[in-house]
Amino acid sequence: MTALLPLPVAIPLVVCAVLLATAHLLPGRVPDILALLAAVAVAILCAVIAVQAADRPLVYWFGGWEPHDGVYLGIGFSVDAASGWIASFIGLLYALTFVFAWGFFDRTHGHFHILMLLFLAAMVGFCFTRDMFNLFVWFEVMSVAAFALTAYHLAESSLAGAINFTVVNSLAGFLMLGGIGLIYAQTGTLDFDGIATAVAQGGRNPVVAGAFCLVAAALMIKGAIVPFQFWLADAHAVAPSPVSVIFSGSMVSLGLFGLAKVSAVVFGGSDQVQGALPVLLIGLGSATALLGGWMALLQRHLKRMLAFSTISHAGIMLTGLGALSIGGTGGMLVYVVGHGLVKGALFMIAGILLATQASIDEIALRGLGRGIWPAGIAMALAGLLLCGLPIGTLDQGTRLVQGALSQEGHGMALAATAIGAALTGAAVLRAAGRIFLGLGPDPGDEAGAPSADEREKANRPLWLMLAPCCALLAVDLALPAGPIAHALPRAVSAFMHRPEGGMLAEGPGWLPWFSVAAALAGAGYGLFRKRLPAFVVRPVRATQSAPTRALEILHSGLIGDYAAWLAVGVAVIAAVLAMA
Amino acid sequence: MSVLPYVVAAWLFGVGLYGIATSRNFIHLVGCLGVCQSATYVLLLGLGYRWGSIAPIFYDHPPGTPAVDPVMQALVLTDIVVGATLTALLLVLTVQAYKRGGSLDPEKLRPMRAGGNKGPDQGSRPVSDGGRQTP
Repeated sequence: MTALLPLPVAIPLVVCAVLLATAHLLPGRVPDILALLAAVAVAILCAVIAVQAADRPLVYWFGGWEPHDGVYLGIGFSVDAASGWIASFIGLLYALTFVFAWGFFDRTHGHFHILMLLFLAAMVGFCFTRDMFNLFVWFEVMSVAAFALTAYHLAESSLAGAINFTVVNSLAGFLMLGGIGLIYAQTGTLDFDGIATAVAQGGRNPVVAGAFCLVAAALMIKGAIVPFQFWLADAHAVAPSPVSVIFSGSMVSLGLFGLAKVSAVVFGGSDQVQGALPVLLIGLGSATALLGGWMALLQRHLKRMLAFSTISHAGIMLTGLGALSIGGTGGMLVYVVGHGLVKGALFMIAGILLATQASIDEIALRGLGRGIWPAGIAMALAGLLLCGLPIGTLDQGTRLVQGALSQEGHGMALAATAIGAALTGAAVLRAAGRIFLGLGPDPGDEAGAPSADEREKANRPLWLMLAPCCALLAVDLALPAGPIAHALPRAVSAFMHRPEGGMLAEGPGWLPWFSVAAALAGAGYGLFRKRLPAFVVRPVRATQSAPTRALEILHSGLIGDYAAWLAVGVAVIAAVLAMA
Repeated sequence: MSVLPYVVAAWLFGVGLYGIATSRNFIHLVGCLGVCQSATYVLLLGLGYRWGSIAPIFYDHPPGTPAVDPVMQALVLTDIVVGATLTALLLVLTVQAYKRGGSLDPEKLRPMRAGGNKGPDQGSRPVSDGGRQTP
């Protein structure tokens, strides 16, 4: 059974190599079909592995280099049920993205599929590995594939976005490698379990704290946590829509998945790290949730808006981690899946609008979506799910995260998760109302406001693009909550290498409804501001204009500013660790 | 182990980051990124170094001779490969950006700021952005 473990990584890599060698010979749609089959195979294999790993994690040592007497020489994959299911979800997301991208590019010579399959293999490897350096390698492979995919269109705006993305994430890679070097120097091994044993025996140690600081900063950069979040909006807004689906649906949350694994497994024995984690993760997570939500509300470029909404939801995931409990981490893992499904669907809708209406600007698109109303229904549903409509997998994750937060007494973070979700939901619902119902004031000349002259290929049938989007939403609604809740405590205790225990708490039942109500109110305010009486509008405008302007100046698009904020972020993490 | 490699690594990373933060030219910026990466080489080689030992090649040495840590050297090799990939990719992106934008200045090649329709900086956008403001 364990012999299956390398396959979900090997299959995409082999198909990738075959495509690279033969793509120029293959007729039209063969690369699409091969890529789709590879992604489906990965999803199925990972699900099989996850089922097998339900009792105890499966371990595979490459080349048979098993550890002897506590000495780890080989590199291994170790898959617990949670990691397996996350990898399976990623495979499913890729499969549906390949369907969405069917015929998306004219003459790709298979390059799009090759990069995507490389990306997929890296993500699965990232989920499965049990070796720090191997983790870094998958991190870098993931990054390089992502950089190339972002710049795929080679348009001016996508190039600038891709350069920012590349520079910031390369710095993340260097930080991570430095951290790995430090922890190896301290413990003499790169294996997760080996490091964990040595760290637990070592006591308080500045080298271990330094290593964690660097690795955590790198993973938070990938996870777009304040103050590392700047690259995300630039990259996600300009990448081709199918790529944005993958970025927001899985790449960002995988950064936090890695952080969850590393902080629970590798640094689980360090009291200093564990003492610093709640303050660090809850604080940064809450700030991220609020800032992302606020920025999302300010955007009129749909994909940029969705990108900021992803930042907000990444913050919510981080607060779940910060609860440091089985429930919090379990909620975060469920949230990763639910969020990936819903956000993937939303990016597909943005792609549909780009393809059929040749615009991505919310104001310019006002009322233009009436002809493709099924997409409007999907967008409204996704918006409601995003802000917390109490149904489906995303809601289950939200409840678990909020339950863990209220159990641990983090009231502020609880409020931040509810408000962040409401703000992003408001932004999506406002856009849906404006585009598909023609609500809101007539923009007049403003419709021609500055925006990149973007469009994506238009000659694909609507149903082909809409089907994967609806499938994602259907999966989010149809995943059975009961079995997930039943299997979760065990899976998470295996994931965190921690004894099982404690009940999974759910947050207050009214909180999701509060988020939905707030989102609807926010969307209504955005659409009908002109019709509201002045005593409502004026105080809102007066209080929000200054911070709004400050936030927009912060998101300058300048790589230099991003590098400076990166230094600030690393310093913050180091300071919190030093004080713990 | 002496503390010098740590200091040099931190200094290199800081200097590289400062260069990135203040850079007005993408080629210069790629160079600064390389400086940041050199910090990781120095750190890793410093961590793996043992005084008075040989390179980890035992072809003409009896097994058991003290050698520097080969794992660190493997990490550095991988790091160099990553660095080469990144530099090549970034330079390609820079060349393409220059072809389309006519500039290597990050200030002039900001990624699309279409979201910032309400921002006060809208009026002072660089001229090179004008080409994209097609209605």
